[in-house]
Amino acid sequence: MDFSETAERISQKITSQGHPVEKAGIEVKLKRLVEEFGVPPAEAERTVMNEFAREFSLSGLRSSGPGEQKSLNQVISGEWVTVEGKVVALTASPSPAIAQTGILADESGGMRFVVWAKANAATLQIGRWYRLDSAVVDQFKGVLNLKIHSGTKVTEITRESALAPEVTPIDKLSPGVGSVRAKVVQEWESTHDRILQSGMLADETGSVRFVLWKEEGKERLNPSGLYSIYYAQVDDYNGRLSLNLNTATLLPEEGDIQVRTGDASFSGAFVHLSPGSGLVKRCPVEGCNRVLSRQNYCPVHEIQPGFQYDLRIKGWLDNGDETREVLMQRKETEEITGMTLEAAREMAENNPLGMDEVFLSVREKLLGRYLSCTGREIERRLLVSCCEFLHYQPDELAGLLNRSGGAL
Amino acid sequence: MMGNGRPAQARREGTFEREPARRVFAGELRESRVHFKEGQDEKSPTYILLPTGERCNRIFLVGTLTEKRKQGEQNLFYRARVVDPTGTFFVMAGSYQPEAMQQMARLEPPAFVSVVGKPSVYEPPDGAPLISVRCESITLSDKDVRDHWVLDTARATLDRIDHSPGTPDGERARKEYAGEPAMFRRMVFDALAQLKI
Repeated sequence: MDFSETAERISQKITSQGHPVEKAGIEVKLKRLVEEFGVPPAEAERTVMNEFAREFSLSGLRSSGPGEQKSLNQVISGEWVTVEGKVVALTASPSPAIAQTGILADESGGMRFVVWAKANAATLQIGRWYRLDSAVVDQFKGVLNLKIHSGTKVTEITRESALAPEVTPIDKLSPGVGSVRAKVVQEWESTHDRILQSGMLADETGSVRFVLWKEEGKERLNPSGLYSIYYAQVDDYNGRLSLNLNTATLLPEEGDIQVRTGDASFSGAFVHLSPGSGLVKRCPVEGCNRVLSRQNYCPVHEIQPGFQYDLRIKGWLDNGDETREVLMQRKETEEITGMTLEAAREMAENNPLGMDEVFLSVREKLLGRYLSCTGREIERRLLVSCCEFLHYQPDELAGLLNRSGGAL
Repeated sequence: MMGNGRPAQARREGTFEREPARRVFAGELRESRVHFKEGQDEKSPTYILLPTGERCNRIFLVGTLTEKRKQGEQNLFYRARVVDPTGTFFVMAGSYQPEAMQQMARLEPPAFVSVVGKPSVYEPPDGAPLISVRCESITLSDKDVRDHWVLDTARATLDRIDHSPGTPDGERARKEYAGEPAMFRRMVFDALAQLKI
């Protein structure tokens, strides 16, 4: 491990107080603490600093004990710090041991904070600025956060300047807290009763999924609306980022942006239409939307005669080497089959085979034909947003003739 | 990409990977003899080894349905002939493929059809082995799709010829089959020559 940078920093600090110290000696001390005694580097730095501070009676420097004042993007895990920031979001406390949780922000960025119930700290108010002396930077699920404990001094301060959050391009987001300017490009069927809305946001650089949980005062985003989203929680689910918008300030914006959705494409023969394709009945209970059985039975809400019709396609594309399961929602299904939901419904209602007739009709149109599909891919499953039939391209013939004639 | 790069080992534990439908001309399929099973389970997939050097559990073909015969009394099944520019596929649909049987019932030769199915080798006590295709689905198609399939299959066959040397399946094919895979280049050329530019 290289200690020269740390040593340089300590040396400069002490020297600036009028006590020249050798960098080499500091390096040896640091190395000894870290390598021989297994002290974490940050702790070693503090120890060495304090040693000099005592030696030269430098009271100012000893304050590195409670933590240097830092901006939020400078802190590292395990550190004791002093920060000043604005409470930009408060979230429901997940446990009685926690008095408050939320997001603190300064000019450099935002960070989640946790106030322990035992801290006996004054209740933080949203929109106010505070100085936190001796807060602890901790890591939870790979994300840094600030812990306000009984040793933390919380002081309300006044700041005149407005805080302008820095917007991060989506492809540069990392777990923690982030602000983006993005467009709602997809809205997904709700998979959970507590989810108000989920889907996909995209900007010029990429796309990210989002979720908005049901909570008082929360409203759904407009599909294809452009928003400035300040201080969303960026979570990491199995290596995939997701924005939790409940903490965020959402500002609708005028205009439009060119989005990059990072979509995957796959072309091949449509080799299988899975059962459950075509016309389906969905549970009408708010937020459920499950597909009902033939007897209008929802696995959760039982018999639902007031079902809603929907069109969808589930099937397999195959290029001879690889396969993808493709899922198409109503819009894509209508486009590729040329059959509207209304037409499908009429077909089902006026035919002795009912919904099976729609399935057969979809199969007739797609099975055994070449398709090119674009959409979001998750583990070999393609959520199709755009789809078209492929046709015979005579201009490929010459090249293949040459290849096959090469050995003649 | 060649399937040889990721043979059956690609089936990771607990995940389902659908067997791709290989593109193969009747003229090549007819020459296949070697068939084997990967794994000991009853449900383990069975493969035939294509002479151009790739294993194949399923195929996709588009051709002309020229003949269809209903056979059997108790166990009804259909036997059909589907023709491509290089030869004939023998397609069967039995009571284990009720969907395919119903689809077959609606078709009248001659017609362009798309077929997804599993090839198997039948070795009669006397005479040459016969490759038939057990049909998973057979649907009405058209000339545009057929021509597209000929290009697709030509490309896939040339890819196998060019890339199979050195792969386990490629080397096995060279041992098991007398002819060099390169002889199928001629077949591809003849198939392509029938398309209009």
